[in-house]
Amino acid sequence: MNDTICAVATPLGSGGIGIVRVSGSNVVHIAQQIFGRCPEPRIAEYGDFRAADGECIDSGIALFFPKPNSFTGEDVLELQGHGGRVVQELVCERVQELGARIARPGEFTERAFLEGRLDLAQAEAVADLINASSKQAAHAAARSLSGEFSREVLAIDREVLELRMYVEGSIDFVDEEIEFLDVKTLVQRAANIEEQLQSLLRRTELGATIQNGLSVVIAGPPNVGKSSLLNALLNEDRAIVTNVAGTTRDTLDATINLNGLPVKFVDTAGMHESNDPIEEAGIERAKLAMKHADVTLWVVDDRVEDAPDSPNCDDLVVRNKCDLTGLSPGSVNDRTVRTSAIHGKGLSAIHEFLVKSAGYQVNDDAFAGRPRHLASLRQALDRLQQAILSLKAKSGDIVAEDLRHVHIHLGEIVGETTTDDLLGEIFSRFCIGK
Amino acid sequence: MKSVKIRNLFDVVVIGGGHAGTEAALAAARMGAQTLMVTQSIETIGQMSCNPAIGGIGKSHLVREVDALDGAMASATDQAGIHFRTLNASKGPAVRALRAQADRSLYKNAIREIVEKQENLHIFQDDVVDLDIADDRIRSVRCAIAGDIAAKTVVLTTGTFLGGLIHIGRRSKTGGRAGDRASTDLANKLRALPFRVGRLKTGTPPRIDGKTVDYSELLTQHCDEHASTMSYVGHQSEHPRQVPCYITYTNERTHEIIRAGLPESPIYSGAIEGIGPRYCPSIEDKVVRFSDRPQHQIFIEPEGLQTNEIYPNGISTSLPFDVQVAAVRTIKGFENARITRPGYAVEYDFFDPRDLYPTLETRLVESLYFAGQINGTTGYEEAAAQGLLAGINAARKVADSPQWFPKRHEAYLGVLVDDLTSLGTNEPYRMFTSRAEYRLRLRQDNADIRLTEKGYELGVVSLARWNSFKAKREAIQECKQRLQETNIHPDEERVRTLEDLSGERVSRELKLYELLKRPRIETEVLHSSGWLCDIPYAILEQASIDIKYEGYINRQEKEIESANAKERMAIPETLNYQSIDGLSNELRQKLSESRPRTMANASRIPGITPAALSLIAVHSKRERDQRKIA
Repeated sequence: MNDTICAVATPLGSGGIGIVRVSGSNVVHIAQQIFGRCPEPRIAEYGDFRAADGECIDSGIALFFPKPNSFTGEDVLELQGHGGRVVQELVCERVQELGARIARPGEFTERAFLEGRLDLAQAEAVADLINASSKQAAHAAARSLSGEFSREVLAIDREVLELRMYVEGSIDFVDEEIEFLDVKTLVQRAANIEEQLQSLLRRTELGATIQNGLSVVIAGPPNVGKSSLLNALLNEDRAIVTNVAGTTRDTLDATINLNGLPVKFVDTAGMHESNDPIEEAGIERAKLAMKHADVTLWVVDDRVEDAPDSPNCDDLVVRNKCDLTGLSPGSVNDRTVRTSAIHGKGLSAIHEFLVKSAGYQVNDDAFAGRPRHLASLRQALDRLQQAILSLKAKSGDIVAEDLRHVHIHLGEIVGETTTDDLLGEIFSRFCIGK
Repeated sequence: MKSVKIRNLFDVVVIGGGHAGTEAALAAARMGAQTLMVTQSIETIGQMSCNPAIGGIGKSHLVREVDALDGAMASATDQAGIHFRTLNASKGPAVRALRAQADRSLYKNAIREIVEKQENLHIFQDDVVDLDIADDRIRSVRCAIAGDIAAKTVVLTTGTFLGGLIHIGRRSKTGGRAGDRASTDLANKLRALPFRVGRLKTGTPPRIDGKTVDYSELLTQHCDEHASTMSYVGHQSEHPRQVPCYITYTNERTHEIIRAGLPESPIYSGAIEGIGPRYCPSIEDKVVRFSDRPQHQIFIEPEGLQTNEIYPNGISTSLPFDVQVAAVRTIKGFENARITRPGYAVEYDFFDPRDLYPTLETRLVESLYFAGQINGTTGYEEAAAQGLLAGINAARKVADSPQWFPKRHEAYLGVLVDDLTSLGTNEPYRMFTSRAEYRLRLRQDNADIRLTEKGYELGVVSLARWNSFKAKREAIQECKQRLQETNIHPDEERVRTLEDLSGERVSRELKLYELLKRPRIETEVLHSSGWLCDIPYAILEQASIDIKYEGYINRQEKEIESANAKERMAIPETLNYQSIDGLSNELRQKLSESRPRTMANASRIPGITPAALSLIAVHSKRERDQRKIA
């Protein structure tokens, strides 16, 4: 029998509506006490939330989801009141008086998982859905949450199992009358699984890209128009722009959404020799930002013939102020693009370049991929590819060993080798009440 | 009853003289324990009750492990084997397996001789009718004639004799094996103990007089030209004359007769309640379950050199005798066959092996060990390996030394006892290589490398074998060294031979060691092209397998480490599976019954899902946390 937990489910602070969620074995009693009655299952009922002395704390909607048909699989009560912080805390305190305790981070989801309402990949998707920063990311998480990702992994897992059945069968029952598959058929089946696995991996990688977005640093010598470029890319006046070199001293970032791909731009201090300690510190930060960036836009003045080279060869060189040279903006050539930030010219070429370098395509079949999912899928694919090679050249015992590992790695995704620690990690990443 | 003392007190009393019993008694005696083997009949010591073959896939691995610990089975097979064949020769060394058809009487004689020669081992023919247990500890065994014999430890290896019931058609009678009495009294006594008891079933085909078989139209299967030996210390010169086996098939007419006889079958009439092995069904099962197959294979095994009797493997049956005769005579080559012994099914008691420690000592009665078919296994090899382990632990118990059992990554025997004692079984348990996750390490060629040193430490391995093993191990090391050091040049003459034999190209100078990593460079190729010819082939082979598999084996080391971590993740004994809502009813049931001790055990429960394992992990953690608080 589980104890009863409660938490404010809406973001802390003032908002239109504040929801306190309660889950556990004592929910009916709590509803009767605070709301005067237990609402009909799944029917929104209006009423007062009352303190122990009968005083009204707040008025609002109460919703009751009896077990097992609730998110956690337990009895769940939602008290939807006004969004004030104090009011929500009072409701929460009252619920605690009635025998509930404040939930640990992620505990609602943990219970859903423990009651068998969600598998591990689904539980992780809850956090991804909440943290989704674009529509596409939200879709990817929702697809994982619905179990589609797990189902696809399991479907591949089944096929691996079947393949293993044949391989193991031909080893252990060589003298028996079992159906053997010839090497060609086995390779074909393995190749078919490989294709599915690759497609799943691609969709999961895409999901990871959508999730993580792209981090782009704008760097270069001083007074080449980096901040103007930022403002132009954001289409708003975010950075202060003057004609004084070294106006930007600290890094400044802002995020836009490129067809669903979150792109975070970081504007940095211009790089040059400086004796000003504040400017020096800013330059250090710029260097650090470049190190961690997915892409650096190395901005130079189009009028300068021998502009300093970017420290990284895979960056995009942006020759800005092309309005002053009269050369035409746009189209990336040899990792170089001409722009005129103040006239907003050449920006779409940068957008295209960024979307392409992220390997992003607008395609609504992505799965919210976590690093561990990607690692397992990649390892499974690697062992499967080895198994295919082994099938062609090596002996049965090696093929069987490779396939066994494909199985193990797929199992890791839906939870098989999950230890206490991994679970603890996963659940601690959820925020309270979600 | 007045008791006649054979001796005041034995260290180890082994009940039964089958494959488990002999290895148990021999092992205990080798370790210096005063050992008594009590058997219903000294004549049947080392008897092969089922088909006359030893070894095979997964099984030769066990035989080699028994041999590595100085057991008798492999040596006896070398003395009795009349048809040696290597299976899975082309599927890689890990799954390669040696099988030998054995002459029944030669095998029995070889075992009898080893048993009789063994110091500290006494043999006695009597029926054991009761066990004296006081304070949850074994005290003595009661024999029908000799009365009570006091024992510090007892190993029970009663095979199919406990409550044995033989079925032929609708007729059934008690018996442990055709022609031998069942141990009914002992079975009744044991059933009164708090062990969980189940019923299993196994069967045999009718035996046929070989003089009445027409071999002229049958497929001949010859034995290997260069036969390996079953024992690491064996020699091909021990092998008796080699003879071929034959293959024939059932046909539609055979199946019609069997179908017509089904109402008389004890399996289909419900007379048999025991569960038979899925991988070794009776011919009536095959005909019913695989009705679309027009024929089933029969492997004709010779019973021995001095007899014409043959064992038609593949048509085990409990149909009435007249149906057996009619069905047999529809088979090619058997048109005029005369049956010498009818086929039958035997049902017997087994004790749920989950009531045992992995040392094979029972959890409920101290110093009492179970080994062999009594634990729900099938097969001579599985029995022998368990017997050896029980014998070792009984002797160590007497000497007050810690108990021992091999782990899953050390031996097939480790896989066997772990599977049995943590999962139990609901059909006769047989070894398969796929049961061993560390299969690439657990090969039939390296059982001695894995176990002999340990065996010597335990005192079950003789000095002679230890010395010969040490010499071999050093030779392998030296051979590896030479493979590391020897260069081969593309323009050497023998490189041409090597290229022709293997299809590989040698285009630059490289070490033999590197060359061996290529898939098509087998030991055979290297040897035949003239490298390291002064090194005995077996040594060269051992060294090259190690080199070839190096990468995979190193990877497995890591897996073993993480498995050991799981092995250390204990599941609290108080965990209540019924209260875990996320588990299916079937899994709740399975988990409640087998009560896995660790996450590793739980992960091997059939039908367990990844999600279920995560649930168990979280609930275990909770349970521990709660206990910490309490």
